[in-house]
Amino acid sequence: MNKDEFLKELDILLNNLPSDEKREILFDYEEHFSIGLKEGKTEEEIIENLGSPKFIAKQYNANYMVNQAESNPSASNIFRAVFAIIVLGFFNLVFVLGPFIGIIGLLIGLFGASIGITIAGISLFGGIATFSVFDPYISLPIALTSNAGGTIFLGIGLTSLGLIFFIGNCYLAKWLYILTIKYLKFNLKIIGR
Amino acid sequence: MNIQFKKGVLELCVLSILTRKDCYGYELVNDISKNIAISEGTIYPLLRRLTKEGLFSTYLKESQEGPPRKYYRLTKRGQEVKDELTNEWFAFVEGVNTIIRGNDE
Repeated sequence: MNKDEFLKELDILLNNLPSDEKREILFDYEEHFSIGLKEGKTEEEIIENLGSPKFIAKQYNANYMVNQAESNPSASNIFRAVFAIIVLGFFNLVFVLGPFIGIIGLLIGLFGASIGITIAGISLFGGIATFSVFDPYISLPIALTSNAGGTIFLGIGLTSLGLIFFIGNCYLAKWLYILTIKYLKFNLKIIGR
Repeated sequence: MNIQFKKGVLELCVLSILTRKDCYGYELVNDISKNIAISEGTIYPLLRRLTKEGLFSTYLKESQEGPPRKYYRLTKRGQEVKDELTNEWFAFVEGVNTIIRGNDE
């Protein structure tokens, strides 16, 4: 591989980055080559010391994706950041992907539960409120219909509980997002290949 | 030396060199790889990340030969991080040394 091939491969591998950022990075390597050549090194020697474009590009990509996920929080950005960190090395596959899947599972479970409780509350409330109309078509347990007032309050209570639970989950998700970013940054710092 | 370990130390090395003088990328890479076996390609991504974190500022300066070079200068924040990392490093090394020598006293 020579200098032009190296830079061209790096250029292609950095396609996920904005073009001005990519240009700055390539500029750094062009400078590195030009100084190295002036000091009497060959292009091959310089490339050997630099390492492969793939190895280099992975690091830029991981840095960029984590920054993106931090400044523009979104589900797709955090997935990209996690993925970019994972491809840095096997260590990350275990220590990043594992906890991340755990967190996603936890959030799905909690959000599912909160939505379930909310729906249960609404159904209870709605079922009792419209019971007189739909009486011939639906059947409700006698325990609920015998004390309609109580059941309505139960419905309202459950709905509120579900909604509060849901809002709490939103805060939890936000907090976990920030925590994940911190963990990814920590990984950027200590993990090489 | 283990590569996981190296990357954290690399940050301290770059910061320490820049405490003494402003450098261009090649100079930094050279100073470090003279002393530690590293894949030089790790340093530029590191420089870029630390610049974004505000530890360095960069400027272009003319060189006698060829085009202007990009120099890195430590910011106040960079200096603080360097001091912090230096303390951590010495505490760590001291701890390891104590273990290696065997704790007599």
